[in-house]
Amino acid sequence: MTEWLENQLPKMVLAPSFIAVLVFVYGFIGWTAWVSLTRSKLLPKYELKGFVQYDKLFASPRWDTAFGNLFTFGILFIVIAMVLGLVLAIMLDQKIRVEGAIRTIYLYPMALSMIVTGTAWKWILNPGLGIEATVRGWGFENFSFDWVVNPDFAIYTIVIAAVWQSSGFVMALFLAGLRSVDEEIIKAAQVDGIPTWRIYSSIIIPSMAPIFLSAFIVLAHLAIKSFDLVIALTGGGPGYSTDLPATYMYAMAFSRGDIGQAASSAMVMMAVVFTIVVPYLYSELRAKNHG
Amino acid sequence: MARSVTTQRKITNTVIAWFVGFLICFPILWILVLSFKTEADAIKTPIEVLRATWTFENYGIVQERSDYGKHFSNSVIIAFGSTVLGLLIAIPAAWSMAFVPSKRTKDILLWMLSTKMLPAVGVLYPIYLLFIQLGLLDSRMGLVLVLMLINLPIIVWMLYTYFREIPGEILEAARMDGATLREEVLFILTPMAIPGIASTLLLNVILAWNEAFWTLNLTAAKAAPLTAFIASYSSPEGLFYAKLSAASTMAIAPILILGWFSQKQLVRGLTFGAVK
Repeated sequence: MTEWLENQLPKMVLAPSFIAVLVFVYGFIGWTAWVSLTRSKLLPKYELKGFVQYDKLFASPRWDTAFGNLFTFGILFIVIAMVLGLVLAIMLDQKIRVEGAIRTIYLYPMALSMIVTGTAWKWILNPGLGIEATVRGWGFENFSFDWVVNPDFAIYTIVIAAVWQSSGFVMALFLAGLRSVDEEIIKAAQVDGIPTWRIYSSIIIPSMAPIFLSAFIVLAHLAIKSFDLVIALTGGGPGYSTDLPATYMYAMAFSRGDIGQAASSAMVMMAVVFTIVVPYLYSELRAKNHG
Repeated sequence: MARSVTTQRKITNTVIAWFVGFLICFPILWILVLSFKTEADAIKTPIEVLRATWTFENYGIVQERSDYGKHFSNSVIIAFGSTVLGLLIAIPAAWSMAFVPSKRTKDILLWMLSTKMLPAVGVLYPIYLLFIQLGLLDSRMGLVLVLMLINLPIIVWMLYTYFREIPGEILEAARMDGATLREEVLFILTPMAIPGIASTLLLNVILAWNEAFWTLNLTAAKAAPLTAFIASYSSPEGLFYAKLSAASTMAIAPILILGWFSQKQLVRGLTFGAVK
């Protein structure tokens, strides 16, 4: 009996976590998927009606904006955060003094809630205060920086704040990658007189490919989940010009009382995440089987 | 990989690094500055703001108007409650994965972690309805449960990476000496696991402290933690920068201080163990 218990115990203690994740995530996603196929309005209905919600969703100009924003925002955010993160990492890799403190400072934005740091960003981006007033104070009277209230540009302010929040994090990832490159190879290259930029572009950066991939995955899922950024900075406005899928869903579920729409938009987001995450997981698993 | 560089380059780099650090910190510093200015001074140009007289009045007003203490204690209870509950469930799971791995262990782990990538909106509404039925809406208990479940995959993952660093040979040696499972866990595993558990605790307290999606959607006045409280302050009917900044400062101060004194854990935690 005791022996049986010792054999089964590892599985038994794993079970609560396993079941919690299974029910909580997949059970509820299943519910959402079901409701997205009904005509639910203020209250959920469970009678299946086919893809009416999706037809309505794809016909909605607001969803169009939100979905388009996801790509504008996502691509800019990921590219800029990765480039800045890499530059910062290379810089920090040059034997900086008190590196530990600097690393922590760079990571602070990630450790703080955007809802809170959004306060400062609102001030900085506010036309009449912040950047606009400062540059005008320097004598450039005609300078204007009204992105946050301009429907065509407001989404870029979200990009700025998101990049600010995450580049320190990307830096930390890349720095770990730089440190894991075999030093002997670098030394050999230096002895051969290869210029530093070539060492980086031909040896160091290519060997960091796995880190680029994981940084990309983390940033991509942050982009798709972005919610508090928009809530903190623009609330989706002006109009609905800075809506992202998550805020669209939120608006549908809680202010419009349209659960069916909310559910179908959630499912589309889910599909986007899956197309990014599944290939990654697949490659991770394959790497494991080979190693 | 650190390259050898000349002293002059080193100084230049350090100066640039600190300057960038200042730029990154600027929004946070600015919140601090604004919180000590009057409402009228807070909407002047940056130089005028800096020159204006310093005052503590915002902190008094924020406390008076909105009972900061209540929201603060909500935040503490929700952040620590969900983390401790999560640890209780995750420690055995991570222990089992790290020390008694099966063929499926890595698959299960990756699968658990993958759920963290899914957008929370997918499960928001069913939980919302469930909360209405169970009377958990706007209750600290409800948030503790939800945040525990949301962060459970991360807790399991982090603990797993820490537990795996504990050499298995020690456990085997103990087993050879006739230690029972209970003794093994109590006298060998626990003391060696405590630093990892502490780091996981720290990271998850921070994550739960910052959580905005669930707190905004599932709380109103009663159980609202600091994030929801700040969001309510920045209402559309006119911004009160100075008061908002005072409230914000009080909301982030614990994390800034906690983070500074546990730099290593913070770095490792936020990068999910990639940086040690």
